[in-house]
Amino acid sequence: MTTEETVPYAPEHAPRLSWAQHAPEVYKAMLRLDTAARRGLDPRLLELVKIRASQLNHCAFCLDMHSKDALAAGESVERIIQLGAWEESRHFYTEKEAAALELTDAVTVLTDGFVPDEVYDHAAKHFEEAELAQLIAAITVINAWNRFGVSCRMVAGHYEAGQHQ
Amino acid sequence: MSRTEVLDREVGRALSALSAAAKRGLGDPALAELVVIRASQLNHCAFCLDMHLGIAREHGVSEKQLDLLAAWEEAEGVFDERERAALALTEAVTVLTEGFVPDDVWATAAEQFDDGQLAHLIGLVVAINNWNRVMVGRRIPPGGYRP
Repeated sequence: MTTEETVPYAPEHAPRLSWAQHAPEVYKAMLRLDTAARRGLDPRLLELVKIRASQLNHCAFCLDMHSKDALAAGESVERIIQLGAWEESRHFYTEKEAAALELTDAVTVLTDGFVPDEVYDHAAKHFEEAELAQLIAAITVINAWNRFGVSCRMVAGHYEAGQHQ
Repeated sequence: MSRTEVLDREVGRALSALSAAAKRGLGDPALAELVVIRASQLNHCAFCLDMHLGIAREHGVSEKQLDLLAAWEEAEGVFDERERAALALTEAVTVLTEGFVPDDVWATAAEQFDDGQLAHLIGLVVAINNWNRVMVGRRIPPGGYRP
C-alpha cells in the first residue's frame, strides 16, 4: 500500500509593479486596443492565438486567463494542450487555424528575423484582407499583454473565466 | 503576393493613443526615442527605425548616441546610468521568448525610475513592440512617415 503525501507547492511570488494603477491612461488605451483588435475575428480562434503567443512569451498570468476563457467558451482540453506542439498536431486544428498559429509564431518571434513570405501567403489564403489585418492586430495585442504580465510578474492562478470580458 | 496595407482605423487610433499615453507619462522625449529605436533594432522594423531616427534627431539626440545605440552596453561614456537602465529593460521586455525579465535588470531600472515612470517606460516598450509587429507583419516599407 502506498501512502499519499501532500507535498506543498512553492510559495506564490508577489507582483513587481501594479502597472495599471501607475499608468491608468496606458491601461485604458490597452483596453481600447484589445476591443478594436478582436472585431471581426472568431472568438474561438482568438483564444487559441492568445494562448499560443502566451506560451512563446512565457506569460503565466496570460496562460491562466486565456486557457480558462477558452475552456469556458467550449474549447477542448486536447486542443489547448496540443498548442504547445501544434506543428506536430495539425490534425487537431482546421487549416485556417493552423495558418493563424503559424502567423502567430512568426509575428511573436520577430527578434529571430521577419515574417517569412510563405507564412504570410499561407495566412492570406485563409483570411481575407481585412480579417488578416485584424489577425495581425490581435497577435500584436496579446504580445502587448504578455509584455506587461511578464515584466511586472503578474501572478497566475486567480483569474476566473469571463472576469475581463 | 503583396502584403496588406490595411490597418483597421480604430486599431490604429488605439495604437497611437497607447504610444502617446506612455510617452507623456515618461516625460522624457529624448530617452523615449532611444528606447523606441533600440526595440525597433531588435525587432528589425525598417519603417519604425526610419521614422524614429528622424524624430530622435528632432529631439536633439546626438549622432554619437544613435550610431552606438546597437552596442550601447559596450559604448562606455556615451549613455548615462538612467539611459543604460532603460535600455537594459527595453531589451528584456522586447525579447521575452528567450525568458523573463531578470531581477537585476528590473532592480537597476527601479533604482533609476519611480513606479509611475517605470509603468510608463514598460508601456512605451510595449507600444513600440506593437508598432514593430504591425509594420513588420504587413511589411510596410520605410520612408512613409511624415512628421
